[in-house]
Amino acid sequence: MSPPHPKLQTQAPGDGGPVVPARVLWSADRRTLSIDGSWTTAALARLGPTPAELNQSTEAVILDGSGLTGLDTAGALLVHRLVQRLRGQGREVQLAGFDARRLALLDLVAERLAVEAEALGQQGPPPRPTGLERLGRLVVEGGREGFALLSFCGEVCLAFAQSLLHPARFRWRYVLSVLEHDGVRSIPVLGMLSFLLGVVIAYQAGVQFRVYGGNLYVVDLVGITVLRELGPLMTAIVVAGRSGSAYTAQIGTMQVTEEVDALRSIGVSPLDLLVLPKILGLVIALPLLTVFADVAAVGGGMAMSALMLDVSPEVFIRRFPEAVSINSLLTGVAKAPVFAAAIATVGCYQGFQVRGGADSVGRHTTASVVRALVLVIALDAAFSVAYSWLGI
Amino acid sequence: MELRGIRTCFGSACIHEGLDLSVRRGEILALVGASGSGKSVLLREMILLRRPTAGQVRLFGEEAPAIDGPTANRLRRRIGIMFQHGALFNALTVLENISVPLKEQTSLSAPVIRDIAMLKLVLAGLPTDAAYKYPEQLSGGMHKRAALARALAMDPDLLVLDEPGTGLDPVGADALDELIRDLHGSLGLTVAMTTHDLDTLWRVPHRVAFLAERRILATGTMDELTRSDDPRLAAFFQGPRARAARSGTWSRA
Repeated sequence: MSPPHPKLQTQAPGDGGPVVPARVLWSADRRTLSIDGSWTTAALARLGPTPAELNQSTEAVILDGSGLTGLDTAGALLVHRLVQRLRGQGREVQLAGFDARRLALLDLVAERLAVEAEALGQQGPPPRPTGLERLGRLVVEGGREGFALLSFCGEVCLAFAQSLLHPARFRWRYVLSVLEHDGVRSIPVLGMLSFLLGVVIAYQAGVQFRVYGGNLYVVDLVGITVLRELGPLMTAIVVAGRSGSAYTAQIGTMQVTEEVDALRSIGVSPLDLLVLPKILGLVIALPLLTVFADVAAVGGGMAMSALMLDVSPEVFIRRFPEAVSINSLLTGVAKAPVFAAAIATVGCYQGFQVRGGADSVGRHTTASVVRALVLVIALDAAFSVAYSWLGI
Repeated sequence: MELRGIRTCFGSACIHEGLDLSVRRGEILALVGASGSGKSVLLREMILLRRPTAGQVRLFGEEAPAIDGPTANRLRRRIGIMFQHGALFNALTVLENISVPLKEQTSLSAPVIRDIAMLKLVLAGLPTDAAYKYPEQLSGGMHKRAALARALAMDPDLLVLDEPGTGLDPVGADALDELIRDLHGSLGLTVAMTTHDLDTLWRVPHRVAFLAERRILATGTMDELTRSDDPRLAAFFQGPRARAARSGTWSRA
């Protein structure tokens, strides 16, 4: 016999009156299993174990429901499972003391569960993939995505080629809006970050140079690293975080709300309207931003040199053209349009990959930034290799 | 459930003024009214998601307190809500969606919760293979049914449906009407719903409350409301669409 539960007299949450917890009582002499109390969702949580003696015999039992004070579908489900288990032990079960409404509820549950069991025989939850399977899926997925990105690039190139034939139909106004939003408005944050970058480089270099008395070489170091490498890279990182993610979110949201399909149905190519102006705008904006970032970073280096290394701005500026050739600037700025195309293409591509709801937008926005950064740094490495081959 | 002297204002615009409405135990009450007459707002006040500017809300014979207090939470557990657009959690499968209230509000074991959730799923008329799908993979009708299944998860005393048939084709809407009636019959639910659908109005609710001019203008069975010669009711219940819906019911009966 299951012991009465200590919380017997407490009130169930969410109910006005006292709720008697659900119980199962076995009376051996009458061969009766009585269920009493409230078999409702709130009270079921405290259902004790069923009597152990029941497992020892296989004789017929009577299931007495006259003590029930409440029965809802969850309760009916458990009653049904109880009956199923008893019958599974090979005994006959007779229901007694249930009123018509409760019997109807039990019938309803049994009938629906039969439907469920029949269908469920064929399938359970989808199995979790094993490690090897997951690796395989990852590889296939990666390959497919690379291919999809490549074909997206192809589509974009084709669309560009078509716009070249009809330049009047190109959405120049959107290009201007991109220049404003992703170019002009990123100047403050980019300026600040680049200035600080210059300060950090000058400081780190200065600590070393001062030991050897080569203070003036800070100009060479700051100038060359900033113009060749860090300026373009910093700009690309800021723009990938700021604009690439925004492109994904914008196109992704439009995809969710079926605006992209609406555009297609009106006969406007989403590529023409949403992608080409962004790519072109960013390809124009990024080199300009890079030059700005270069100036800010060199300015930061100059300030730090004056404060720490006794290299006055005058000296710094006089030394600068001697130390840094125009090539450094050009090789740096030349990278910017390539970075820009990569960031905008990845951002837009990820936007079009959005399926379903809001969480998908978030996932793809993250993916967009991560992929864009990886791509930018890989491209930067490729540029370094190429420049060294060309001897620039 | 009782509302007394409800007044709701958004800034200076009041959409309810001295509104009274009650839902009796075990009945299906439909709230109708023109678009923008504040049906959904009234529904949100019933389920304690919104506080009226003035007036009294009584639920299950208890005075409803501040909407963020523990008492409100306790009362809310006895209400199952199906939102207009389903409001299923997109990140969870259908079965997980239905399990959420059970997991949060009971201490039942995981297999039992799964069992109960599966039962609610079939009760709402969904095929079992929908259990492991995500909401985005469901059709409109299945989406509504999944939302209904989640509303039923805790075996609520009061089921609130906001526009259950909206966005469904006639066959789907008919099936949903049937389902609501069935569930009401077998589970003894009290149901409060809003709807625009005249076919639904003829077939599902016991009583209909007509919301207009910032209050409940009339309450009664569809027959009573249709026979009324009040011009405002007549426009709603005796237009061409209303007549078609009515004759439809009769031919089906």
